[in-house]
Amino acid sequence: MIDLGILGDPAFVAVQCLNGLTQAMFLFLIASGLTLIFGVLGVLNFAHGSLYMLGAYLSYTIASLFVGRPSAFWVALVLGSLGVALAGGLIEAVFLRPVYRREELDQLLVTYALVLIIGDVVKFAWGPDNRSISRPAILAGSVLIGGRDFPTYNLVVIALGPLVAAALWLLLTRTQFGRLIRAAASDREMVGVVGADVSRLFTGVFVLGAWLGGLGGGLAAPVGAIYPGMDVEVIAESFIVVVVGGMGSLTGTLLGSIIIGQLNAFGILFFPRFALLFVYVLMVVVLVVRPWGLLGKPHTR
Amino acid sequence: MKRLMVLVGFMLMVATVLGSAPAPAAAQEPIKIGVIYGLGGAAAPYTKPAVTGHEMAVEEINGKGGVLGRKLQLVVRDDQSKPDVGVREARDLILKEKVNFLTGIIHSGVALAVSEVAKEYKTILLVSIAKTAALTEDKGHRYAFRSTSNTLIEGRAAAILMAQQPFKRYAIAGPDYEYGHRMGEDFVTQLKKLRPDVQIVTEVWPKLGERDFTPHINALLQAKPDMVFSSIWGGDHIAFVKQAKPYGFFGKTQYLAIGQGDLDVVVPLGAEAPEGMWVSSNYTFYHPDSPANRDFVAKYKARTGDLPPSGAAFAYTSTYFLAEAIRKAKSTDTEKVVDALEGLTVETVHGPLTIRAYDHQSNKGQYFGRLKKAPEYPFLIIGDLQYIGGEKTMRTLDEVKALRGQK
Repeated sequence: MIDLGILGDPAFVAVQCLNGLTQAMFLFLIASGLTLIFGVLGVLNFAHGSLYMLGAYLSYTIASLFVGRPSAFWVALVLGSLGVALAGGLIEAVFLRPVYRREELDQLLVTYALVLIIGDVVKFAWGPDNRSISRPAILAGSVLIGGRDFPTYNLVVIALGPLVAAALWLLLTRTQFGRLIRAAASDREMVGVVGADVSRLFTGVFVLGAWLGGLGGGLAAPVGAIYPGMDVEVIAESFIVVVVGGMGSLTGTLLGSIIIGQLNAFGILFFPRFALLFVYVLMVVVLVVRPWGLLGKPHTR
Repeated sequence: MKRLMVLVGFMLMVATVLGSAPAPAAAQEPIKIGVIYGLGGAAAPYTKPAVTGHEMAVEEINGKGGVLGRKLQLVVRDDQSKPDVGVREARDLILKEKVNFLTGIIHSGVALAVSEVAKEYKTILLVSIAKTAALTEDKGHRYAFRSTSNTLIEGRAAAILMAQQPFKRYAIAGPDYEYGHRMGEDFVTQLKKLRPDVQIVTEVWPKLGERDFTPHINALLQAKPDMVFSSIWGGDHIAFVKQAKPYGFFGKTQYLAIGQGDLDVVVPLGAEAPEGMWVSSNYTFYHPDSPANRDFVAKYKARTGDLPPSGAAFAYTSTYFLAEAIRKAKSTDTEKVVDALEGLTVETVHGPLTIRAYDHQSNKGQYFGRLKKAPEYPFLIIGDLQYIGGEKTMRTLDEVKALRGQK
């Protein structure tokens, strides 16, 4: 099945590259929330995929309230992701705050329980059926790239990834909140000692992470099906991205997303039945050679 | 002598009373049917209505006095679409719940695993949805039955339909597991037999639950097929269609989506479903326009407020097969019900269906056609609809015997 000939077609390669990049930006948006929460709170949030799912469902419901209006999608995206952020704040305050000082295994179990709870809530509220919403009319078409159609919506997603990355970078490096986050990431006790309200800081970070997950879900909603169980696939992929890029490193997550997006896009051309293998091999190699990830920092604990 | 006669008579009476005393109690004990499905995730749009379908059939049958004077009772379990969980639940249903029969199962891998349990415990398993042909072919045995079609029946039917079309360059797409590969193989084998001039130009195998199909879409387009044969299903199909549209995909190639004329996907896709797309369907509420189907649609609507999706029809059919077999056997004894199921014909929403005696495979076929707009519905329905019956495409007995290594 290996046919290198197709790589001789620059337009095809360009579109495939952009396809990989679209996937990468979706992955980055989702995984950045996961890595942020882990970096600061030290909690590996299994329920991040559930927040993504919640974002998709909330967008669906809000969009169906404004059906037929050109602004429906945008309103749904903004309100839906804010709704997830709000839910994230509640989750952090009620379920996570009591377990920060416990063992990591306890924290994992709590977030795993959240996966089950949110999964059931979604099934109860929206039922088992597949749901679907449309792209906004203005982005439903395509643009020509080397004589080939490429979806306008995907171009917007590709642009949005770096924008969010830049915004996060500015937030982390140029604001008081960001400085505290970075300080907390390297030494939690010290931030408390210098008088910052660590508890509020943690809630803020979790809300931000949840918002990113919800935003990913809202953006993915019009290009996929919305169904109970969409949380499982995405959490597995996000974990791989974060492990490869480096736990807690935002630039690492961006790099990991791009590598995995391209590996998927070109892997399927050569090994249609074993494309996933590349991703897993990459993860294993990274874990063996640099267990802390490509751009992560080695654990000092 | 007279005293002896009286004594014998008395003893006979006692024996009769003793012997028959538990009988009325036994008659009231329900006949238990274990139902196994993956109830969450991508399977849920099929399996939740399926549970409703079983319940509807059981209530109807019980409302008419049950079977052999006994009520039917369902015990529903979730296999999480995992073979090991399916095996555990099946054992539990047989050993602890003491169910008389097993039915259900959507996931082909679970079906094959639970079929082994059925064989081990000599308990009937009547699969209602899962389609891997292996269940009734090489892996078939005395206790495994299927009331719906299989990958071979559907793959061959699609090949018959496609062989009449001018397409020469075919691409194959499917989810990367048992079902997808079986469906692709069964289609290609038959198509090449009927049309040696066709060519397979490429294959793509996205994983089940894939979110991003765009690399596959681009690869398919690059191979310039006339027709893409696809077994991508459910939410994956919805995602594929939505992602493929802006690439101009459906203007550049024809596409046949197996099973995707079902309500589970045409309703959420709404107006986004591509007009003219070739589909097959497991069940439609608008065809056949028979009393049995009209009655089923009316009852399901009255109960849920919705039109019945395919899952409900799968389950309704399998429940009636079991009930009819028990009635015919006049017993719940497994061996007698196996004999009764072999060759049994039941009037279903699809018309009369028969479970073949030798391999326990039903002759249920598939509905084929092309999606078209219908002014009365907010979703597309199947136009030029034709039913290709299973008897036209199912394996001959010789083929099945060869697969089972028998002469």
